[in-house]
Amino acid sequence: MSKHSSRPRRALLAACAALALSACGLFGDDDDEAPDIAFAKYDAPYAGKPDFAWVEHRHPLSTADLYKITPQSIARLDQEQVDQIYARLTAGPIPDGPFEGDLFFPRGGSGKLRLSEIAGGGLKSLAVNVGGAKLDLIGETLWKGKVFYRDTRLLRNRIEDLATLRKLGLVEESAQTPLQKISVKGKEQWLLFPAKLYCGQSLLDGRRESIIIDYAFTDELPGYRRMPDLLAGRNGFAIRDEIRMVYPGFYLGRAYMDRAFVVNFVLYNEDMIAAGRDAFLKTGQVAQDCWTGTQQRLIASAAGSG
Amino acid sequence: MVRAPSWLAAIWFPVVALLASFPTPLAAQPPAAAGGVAQVHEQDRPYYEACAREGLDESQCAGRLIWFKATAGNERFHTYVFQQRVGVLIDWFRVLRSDERGDRFRAWGIINDPACCTPGSANCPAQSADETYGLDWCPGDEELLAYVGRDGYRDPACDFRDAPLKAGDVHGPSDQRHDACDLRFGTSTGALGIRKFPNPRFDREAWLKLNGRAGTWEGYHRPIAAAGGRGEAARSHLQDGAIEPPFLIGTSCGSCHIAFDPLNPPADPAHPAWENIKGLIGNQYTRISEIMVSGMASNTLEWQMFAHARPGTSDTSAIPTDQVNNPGTINALINLARRPTFADESVLKWRKVAACAQGADEAKCWCEPGRDGKCWEKSLQKEAVHHILKGGEDSIGALEAIQRVYFNIGSCSEQCWVNHLADLRQLDPQQRGFGQTPFDIGQCRRDCPNFRAIEDRLVNILDFFMSAEGRATDLREARENLLRARDPLARYTEQDLIVELERDFGSGAVARGREVFANSCARCHSSQPAAAHGEFASLDFHKLDLKTGLREDWLGNDRPTAVSEVGTFRCRALHSNHMAGHVWQEYGSETLRAQPPDPNVREPGDGGRGHYRNISLLNLWAHAPFLHNNALGPELCGNPQNPANDFYAQRPRYVDGSNVKLLPASQQPACFAYDPSVEGRYRLYLESMHALLNPAQRIPKVTLLNQDVTLRVGPRLWDGTDKETLLGFELTIPSEIDGRGVTAGTLGNFQHKAFIVDLVRAKTAPDALERSLRERLGKDTARQVLADLKAVAKDVAGKPNGLVEALKARPYLIKQVYSSCTAEIENEGHRFGEDLSDADKNALIAFLATL
Repeated sequence: MSKHSSRPRRALLAACAALALSACGLFGDDDDEAPDIAFAKYDAPYAGKPDFAWVEHRHPLSTADLYKITPQSIARLDQEQVDQIYARLTAGPIPDGPFEGDLFFPRGGSGKLRLSEIAGGGLKSLAVNVGGAKLDLIGETLWKGKVFYRDTRLLRNRIEDLATLRKLGLVEESAQTPLQKISVKGKEQWLLFPAKLYCGQSLLDGRRESIIIDYAFTDELPGYRRMPDLLAGRNGFAIRDEIRMVYPGFYLGRAYMDRAFVVNFVLYNEDMIAAGRDAFLKTGQVAQDCWTGTQQRLIASAAGSG
Repeated sequence: MVRAPSWLAAIWFPVVALLASFPTPLAAQPPAAAGGVAQVHEQDRPYYEACAREGLDESQCAGRLIWFKATAGNERFHTYVFQQRVGVLIDWFRVLRSDERGDRFRAWGIINDPACCTPGSANCPAQSADETYGLDWCPGDEELLAYVGRDGYRDPACDFRDAPLKAGDVHGPSDQRHDACDLRFGTSTGALGIRKFPNPRFDREAWLKLNGRAGTWEGYHRPIAAAGGRGEAARSHLQDGAIEPPFLIGTSCGSCHIAFDPLNPPADPAHPAWENIKGLIGNQYTRISEIMVSGMASNTLEWQMFAHARPGTSDTSAIPTDQVNNPGTINALINLARRPTFADESVLKWRKVAACAQGADEAKCWCEPGRDGKCWEKSLQKEAVHHILKGGEDSIGALEAIQRVYFNIGSCSEQCWVNHLADLRQLDPQQRGFGQTPFDIGQCRRDCPNFRAIEDRLVNILDFFMSAEGRATDLREARENLLRARDPLARYTEQDLIVELERDFGSGAVARGREVFANSCARCHSSQPAAAHGEFASLDFHKLDLKTGLREDWLGNDRPTAVSEVGTFRCRALHSNHMAGHVWQEYGSETLRAQPPDPNVREPGDGGRGHYRNISLLNLWAHAPFLHNNALGPELCGNPQNPANDFYAQRPRYVDGSNVKLLPASQQPACFAYDPSVEGRYRLYLESMHALLNPAQRIPKVTLLNQDVTLRVGPRLWDGTDKETLLGFELTIPSEIDGRGVTAGTLGNFQHKAFIVDLVRAKTAPDALERSLRERLGKDTARQVLADLKAVAKDVAGKPNGLVEALKARPYLIKQVYSSCTAEIENEGHRFGEDLSDADKNALIAFLATL
């Protein structure tokens, strides 16, 4: 591969740092099975996908079902199944604090951006060179998660290894403008790619709002530095994430570039998961910051339907 | 001026007696609630006065109020969904700013609410724009404004007083109608049909920081140039979902249908009185399409796709896009009781029932929980229905046709229909959003409370449609009203009208015109049974139906005619949202879908496509320009003071037919300035009739791209050579190809998904692709297309932007092979009458003015 042709890949690595995260061991090593929950029947073509409103009406998820889902097990599902889960979630509360993260490629996915898979991968050879962009590798080397600042409706991404970005010349820093850092479990990480947080429209399922992580106006946010942050903004890859809560402390997300879906991801905080588990299992109730829609949502909990 | 002759009194008194037997009109007060006193919101008073003035009964008046005010929750659509999900930005401040109230009609065709005022103007309760966040002050705002930025606003619709439940309602006899709060009225924005609601999420501090003061949205909508300067469109904070505006803005059906009364037009269209306003004939000046893209730069795909409609038209399939460029006029609802219906059509739909069988599939029979026998059952039955829309697509009943209008304006979008739309950026045929899926009426009824609030009152809206407000507005009466403005006792009879017409068109013109009309036009433009049997000689087109008091002839048979026979711009006839598997499938009848295609149309025309229904010519004098797209006759323009809103100047339409390029400015015929006066309408009618009957003299009109447009499909990539230069899968549609202008339809009709899928198949499955191309295009064309697709694929491999040049070299792929409609000239066709003598043409013009 020539030096020139390798550049798109490296650039993509940098950009995707704003999206994704790494694996962890919270959920144990026994998550190698897909979660045993109900899905509506579907066929491969778009017209064979069931209406989300009916999916939710006929196959409501119980809290017990939700706790079958882990960052590892959800990746055992195919994209339609992931979508059917996402559609049966609510946004939940806008998170606060640091979250670990992982992006994942559903069963049947190639481990590449969705765009490269279109029409059997044909489009890749025609127009868009994303070859070699192993996003799981990106996640492991660069992106470790996100930090939510709920009160100010801001978010920053946690980057553990700046070396790659620095080698690419993508980090502007000086003594006068030091990079922001955070220490998570004794590990120092840099905070890059600031984004706005708000309740907004899901680009997959309009029936209720999602929590939106929007990089469009990243250049107006405190702590913005032109490189590498602009890559995620409106003049860059125009990244927009949306997340919904699986259960307290665990969120399922979808990342878009310029409104085109590119990858799924999960965010989780072990302490929050542990703290919220009993109450949520029992009631199925949680604070909602966003519009929850008007379709009656059935969520069976240990205490009955809620 | 003439006095009423005695024979008029002889006719008039029986009519008065007939009307006296109709339901009792309301007094200028709302009906009191049973056992209580009606709370009358100040904003409702003019509406009840209008009901009394128009002679409406309680049901009609209730329907009118809903038609004028109810958003059915679409304020979320027009504030969040359209912007974030669909990706199109509305600049509500640009449209509604109070300091441009006087320019609003000329710019946007908006009819100002007479009850509202500009803060600081004489007698206006608001003193400063900061109090109203830059918009007009309107009745009800004294309460509403206090809720901007906080919860707890009680919508005025909660005090809506329902008309009595209809006798025999299957869901009666107890009143089980859904809570009226979900009709959602809010208060006026100052523009009739556009309503506002306080945004509880509004953050005043953030707003002040962005805009400098409360009364302007300057920081919110100020263009922000794109980095890199590569011709990309400027952005603005309108796309910033983190900014919550002070109001959620919604629209009622009236936003397009409220119009000036041809019988009583305003002295100044920018400042009408309530007496000048009607709810059913359709706003012939609205630029609703430009309103919907008012926040987009003009070099965006969205602006070019939306802002192509003429005044008085809208492309109702632009949001639930079928990728067919097809704006059409807002239907004039006149003498609806005389509009033809069609018996024995196969209609699959939900019908009210009192119960469902035990264990019934709720997708086929469903009862609303918590109600007593409020159920619906879905079944296929033979039924008599109206044919609504230009091609008769809304064909499962009048109530359902009204119901669907609410989806056109955005109601229940999140709960019921955005998930069924095609996402233009989704290129994977296996993923949701690649194509449309059918909207599900049963699901929407179950999940959207606003649907239920409207559905339970559709009968009131239909009653309003049938009311006296929808009666014909004859030129005779309009001229009489003009005379009466000076002399209340003045009369202007039919004979007076004939005398004046014959002064202009020759002696005996009206009588001769009737003969010409009977022999040349009535075959399509009469609803009298005799016309259907070819018996034209004895037809009386002015005859009154004594049962309804309306003119007996609706002046159109409403039947479908093959578009190639009419010859008019055919794209609207190729509209596809009603087809099986498409978003509005459930609003089309099986009979419609079984209609055979027009064999003379080259584009696919199955599923009921390829026809226009024969429309009514009632009050033709007041409804020029003509044809379904308002393209026949002069071009209308508002000439607003704010040049940024002078949309006609930005997009003139007259072209050189040989190369479809705009004529030089010096050769562009002057546009016709908005003029809703009686004589203004009449002059427009005359010019339009001249164009209709003299097709050889028509200068071709085409809506062209007025600049290059770049489509970005999918995410962008950075090549690493320039930190701010991104590559991506882009397709630039130039505004000119090989010396020919490129129409807006080229863009709107381009089936880019089919093209990209075939491009891939040309590499991965060429044999299968060739077979399908042969089926569609024939052997020779298929071979050429396949060869070109392979060549394009080779050209663009690894060079995303190579697609531009590859397609420029093969424009037929975009303009023909992968286009849903290849028509270009918008004012062609309907050449009927061109061979008449000049005298007969004049006679026809004279006669039609009397209808």
